[in-house]
Amino acid sequence: MTNDTLRPRALAVLLLSVVLCASATAAEPGELADQVAALLKRVDTLEADVKRLTSQNEALVAQQERQDQRIESAETAPPSQFENLSIWGYGETYYARPDNGSSETTADLARAVFGLGYRFDERTRFDSEFEVEHAVASADDEGEVEVEQFYVDHNLTDRVGVEAGLFLMPVGLLNEHHEPTAFYGVKRNFVETLIVPSTWREGGIGIHGDTAGGIVWNAGVTTGLDFSGWEFTLDEPPYKTALELVSTDVAPMQAGHQELQLADAQHLAQYAMLAYRGLPGLEVGAFAFTGNAAVPDAPANAHGQRVTLLEGHVRWTPGDADLSALYARGTISDTGAYNLANVGASNLMPASFDGYYVQGAYTVWRHNAYRLVPFARWESYDMASSYHGVPDGFSPIPTGPTATGEPWPRPNDRVWTFGANFYVTSNVVVKADYQWFDNNDFDTIDLGLGVTF
Amino acid sequence: MRARDLRRTAALSIRRVALSAVVAGLAACGGGGGARGTAAPNPLSAAAALGESIFHDTALSASGLQSCATCHVESRAFAGDDGLAVPLGGPEMDLPGFRNAPSLMYVSFTPAFHIESDGSPNGGAFRDGRARDLVAQALQPFVTPFEMANADAAEVVARLRTRPYLDDFVALYGADVLDDPDTALQRIASAVAAYEREDVDFRPFSSKFDAFRAGRAELSSKELNGLRLFNDPTRGNCAACHPSASADGKTPALFTDFSYDNLGLPRNAMIPANDDATTLADVRFNSGDGVHTYYDAGLCGPFRTDQQGISRSVCGAFKVPTLRNVALTAPYFHNGVFATLHDALAFYVTRDTRPASWYPVAADDRVVKFDDLEAIYGGAFTVDPTVPGSDVGYVGNVNTTEIPYNRLIGEAPSLTSDEIDDVVAFLCTLTDGYDPAHPESAPVTAECPAASG
Repeated sequence: MTNDTLRPRALAVLLLSVVLCASATAAEPGELADQVAALLKRVDTLEADVKRLTSQNEALVAQQERQDQRIESAETAPPSQFENLSIWGYGETYYARPDNGSSETTADLARAVFGLGYRFDERTRFDSEFEVEHAVASADDEGEVEVEQFYVDHNLTDRVGVEAGLFLMPVGLLNEHHEPTAFYGVKRNFVETLIVPSTWREGGIGIHGDTAGGIVWNAGVTTGLDFSGWEFTLDEPPYKTALELVSTDVAPMQAGHQELQLADAQHLAQYAMLAYRGLPGLEVGAFAFTGNAAVPDAPANAHGQRVTLLEGHVRWTPGDADLSALYARGTISDTGAYNLANVGASNLMPASFDGYYVQGAYTVWRHNAYRLVPFARWESYDMASSYHGVPDGFSPIPTGPTATGEPWPRPNDRVWTFGANFYVTSNVVVKADYQWFDNNDFDTIDLGLGVTF
Repeated sequence: MRARDLRRTAALSIRRVALSAVVAGLAACGGGGGARGTAAPNPLSAAAALGESIFHDTALSASGLQSCATCHVESRAFAGDDGLAVPLGGPEMDLPGFRNAPSLMYVSFTPAFHIESDGSPNGGAFRDGRARDLVAQALQPFVTPFEMANADAAEVVARLRTRPYLDDFVALYGADVLDDPDTALQRIASAVAAYEREDVDFRPFSSKFDAFRAGRAELSSKELNGLRLFNDPTRGNCAACHPSASADGKTPALFTDFSYDNLGLPRNAMIPANDDATTLADVRFNSGDGVHTYYDAGLCGPFRTDQQGISRSVCGAFKVPTLRNVALTAPYFHNGVFATLHDALAFYVTRDTRPASWYPVAADDRVVKFDDLEAIYGGAFTVDPTVPGSDVGYVGNVNTTEIPYNRLIGEAPSLTSDEIDDVVAFLCTLTDGYDPAHPESAPVTAECPAASG
């Protein structure tokens, strides 16, 4: 260090003296002193610069050494388990106040859902979804804990992948995207709850892919439906309000899907989905599912049954608008003998069920992350559009009033829903809506809070 | 009737009567309307074979004239065939009992007495469930003073020592057990219970309804309409307590859910114990209400006293019996108050709309409903049948909330008389012994004429 500071100084003095000697005959003595002073000042400046640069250099070297050390230790240390783990979830709270009886007003933590995913490598990942419905689950409580997804997905190529385990059926608009921020209205729409039994998952294996042109496809083999536990005899109406209608699992496919719970796997089903997502903001899709089902116990050795569900939808989001329409229809074959054996019972098996809706939403106001989106939806659902095996003159639905004086609920209705989603952020939504029913006395006002993360 | 019993006793006094001979003998003595479904007897275990002998052995009674089969006659679905509301027994066969002898068909499916999670009692043997299971039930009549009238277990054992099947008993249970009378009586009861469990004659499931549910027979239009009204929860609502579908998907419908209900049946003056001036020794006087001194309050006494402390709401409730073979088991209900099925069903639907048809009419033309229940439990409910609304606001143990007995004075009953006839036609299909290949051979009774299609 000492040598370094001295050397430039010594050099400067040497240069100075050379310059002075060289110009000794030209300069006056006073001028000379000034020049010397200026030069010395420059030397000082140079010295300081060099000092600074040197210390900077030293610092850089030290930093480099530390970085090298870190890289070394990073390369040799075990990888953190949180790197490839993803945690996500969502939840919904409802408040529902039916017009026909404020005594039926209900507030419910409808769902609290947590998901865990893990990426094993660039091609292979695992995802799972766990749900608690109605807040408290036990033998004496109304809630349920269930595993809604648990599968592995592996990309065979850039365009084609395969998934296996318990996974969501690629049907409709809601089934795979059922977070509260993803749909309009406090409750999920009736068509995609009662006709398409969201959240519908099956166990099996599927192969999926997309093309450069925007075609998306998915097909597979899964467990099928089980009607051996079909409850033909219900002593009381299964639901008295719109909220109960979507909570009691009484619709045909809701009653039959097995959720991979010690599922009957003798009767497997197949599905296929085709969608076009090539144009931004447009989705057009269709889905088909068919399979044999396990049958009710009586009459024994009667005909097997086949369940089929077909669905088609379109969604277009030009600018601030969000327009969608969906149609779904299901059939169950050979219900006649089973219905006849249970003639007069209140919950016969339908031969067909269908529904459709059209919906429009529009973002009318934004401010930072706030966004207000009013919407309107018109839907028609029929959980029993036809029956077989009901003798002439008999009604498939009980005709008299129940013990509390109301008519037995009709399995079909047309519903107008008007409301709005208010997004506090893109992950938190406050919802309100009003629903008008044509057939059943279920008109209701709903409020809801949804969160996704 | 008594002569027939003596003939049976003579037949059994022959040593070592073969099982098939006993069965054949019973078939010959059974007369018309047999409830037998199988031609070939099924092999019984040693205990059940012993139990069958004991079941038919009148020598184990104090009178020498009464066995289990005296009040539980095979040709009458193992119920009584004397047409009386309560059977006669005791040392001289002249002491009346207290309740209508129930059918023993299908008793092996009755669960042990227990309280369900919602607090309701379920199962058990006897009409009040006081015997936990079949063994506890079978030993009681041996030592009941107005039935087989042995003074105690020791007297039963003394009689047992004289019987021809003593060697079989000792071979099964050992000779030591004879020295402990209570245990020996317990073993006698378990043999009888084994017979009731194993012999397929107690559970043939061979009725026309079973053939219909199996898809091997058709119901006539009256029978089908009857089943429809039976199942419809807004019409007959019978299936709510008498399920017409399998409970577990394997066992055919048992037509009882083994629960308890209080129908507010009229007091039956034909039961000697119900006579307020009775001098019978065995009456357990249990009321100081000034109206009657004795009430049969079912779950709450007087033959059991353990449930009364738990809940007074059980007073007056009796176990729901099976409806299988109901056409053979007249008279009906715990107090045998109705002789025909039509009356029993008419009571269900017009108990509240026409109370004067069923209950005592007081001097002021008012009707005292539920007169076989103490007022503190909701009995002696006085109404004016000409004043609609005078029966509103009933508070008490009698079931007034479930269809069809949720009506009020002046309202239309839930079934018309023709519809009652159709339900009776359906109940006739529950009689075992129907052969789909030879429908004309179906048992015929007064209320179940030959099928006319």
